Amino acid sequence: MSSREPLWYCHECHAEMRPLMVPDPVCASCHGSFVEKMENPTDDPRQFGQEDDPFTILGGNNPQMDNFLMGLQTLMERGMNPNNRTPGAGGGSGMTFEVRGSNGRTIRMGGANTLGRGPDRPPRPPVPNMTDFLGSGPSSPGPRHGNDGPTIGGVLMAQYLTALLGGRDPGLGNAESGRMGDYVFNQEALDQVITQIMENSNSHRPVPATEDVTENLPRDVLTEGSPMLEKDCAVCKDQFKLGTDDPDEQVVITLPCKHPFHEPCILPWLKSSGTCPVCRYALVPQPDQHGSPPHPGSSPSGPSGSGRPPYSPGPSERSGHGSGAGLFQSLFGGLTGHGQNHATHNHGTGSPDPRRSPIQGPQGPQRRGSEPSRRNNDHLPGSWSEDLD
Amino acid sequence: MTSISVRRLQKELTEIQNEGCPVGINLLKADDFQTWFFTLEVMGDSLYQGEAYTLMFRFEPQYPISSPAVQFVVSHDKQAPIHPHVYSNGHICASILGSEWSPVLSVVAVCVTLQSMLASCKKKERPPDNDRYVRTAPDNPKKTVFHYDDDTV
Repeated sequence: MSSREPLWYCHECHAEMRPLMVPDPVCASCHGSFVEKMENPTDDPRQFGQEDDPFTILGGNNPQMDNFLMGLQTLMERGMNPNNRTPGAGGGSGMTFEVRGSNGRTIRMGGANTLGRGPDRPPRPPVPNMTDFLGSGPSSPGPRHGNDGPTIGGVLMAQYLTALLGGRDPGLGNAESGRMGDYVFNQEALDQVITQIMENSNSHRPVPATEDVTENLPRDVLTEGSPMLEKDCAVCKDQFKLGTDDPDEQVVITLPCKHPFHEPCILPWLKSSGTCPVCRYALVPQPDQHGSPPHPGSSPSGPSGSGRPPYSPGPSERSGHGSGAGLFQSLFGGLTGHGQNHATHNHGTGSPDPRRSPIQGPQGPQRRGSEPSRRNNDHLPGSWSEDLD
Repeated sequence: MTSISVRRLQKELTEIQNEGCPVGINLLKADDFQTWFFTLEVMGDSLYQGEAYTLMFRFEPQYPISSPAVQFVVSHDKQAPIHPHVYSNGHICASILGSEWSPVLSVVAVCVTLQSMLASCKKKERPPDNDRYVRTAPDNPKKTVFHYDDDTV
């Protein structure tokens, strides 16, 4: 460390940081209070817990530690499972456990149980105790003292204890502060869980086309006089032309919906989404989205990519602008803020399977939205209302 | 070898410079092919009449295969519009910026769409989860996976 000020270490983030003093030091990132000033190089907190199994430090073959853990197990079995509890002398269920040290001293801990006390309380379903947790662990509950007890693996014990104490448990994922498995203890942790769930959800993500699908797409090499030369690629918005620097740009892939693209333009797209960029024809089944008709998964809008929306999308739309006006239809509908159009779209759910729409389009591949010069009313395909409304 | 994004963006920029933007949309700054700024106004009758917003586009080298990261600029003198799909940090929950992006769309098409999103708004309010989202939101809205589950607004 080059800095003169001593760094602090957050035991919750497991990271060095400069704490916020408010007025007690808390971690700047997690706001946890389990922070330690790193002053003594012989007691570097970063060393702690870096072992795969932190309990090897404490446990391992240390019989003293075994005793302690045995005692803790007994405590947990009694404390958490009322059925196992033996009534104590004082009316409540007393719990004690003791640790015998090798130096002959015995430490006894315990006292009256305050959890779930009361004879009138119906027995709760047993909380999984340590024996359950360990699965193959010893079956006979009850106090066990001494070295003749079964040995519990340090790793399992560590997991159990960390789970018990709400700490970080590698087995439960990257638990942040305030989290333990599925449990959260504060708003921030809840936010994190929700964010994580949202991010992990891929139900709305487009499904890429498989290589099988892309390899079998028809490819044409442009030649002199090809009708393709009058069209353009909706991805790069360039016209197909001969004599390009990149010979790959003279290879045209035509999707089943009849929309042509430069091979180097369409292949990367299909690797991220197996749909036609113009009409959202699905080459591979796409996830059902939010149930609104104009989304790519359930309603590719057919080959009529040059179709204009059946309504005026806004006073600002300039004619001839916005290549791929077909997309306007789906984007206006797909945009979740566009309520006034939804009324006109909602009855589309009853339309026939939209994945078949490519064959019903009256327009050929010539009618594409990416050709601004052609996009006039004479190209208005009738299939919009069929496909999308 | 120029990347696919530069070629495409150059084409879009030329078109904007030659033909201008649709009414209410103006190019503010496009000094490179990474970040562009536009001003956005909603024309005609709307809840946002007379208000001007700034949109920031950030492009990856894979544009237009990958969608641009689009958000309203929020700074000391700029605010994001109050809209059920616009968070107070400027992030926008719009499916076309996420799972429904298509390379056929363009920068101006996105502007027009967002303009239309504002124009059709019936009630100025923040998304219900605004506070929660803004607290934990990443810098780049593309890192957020929005759920486009609200079609009613």
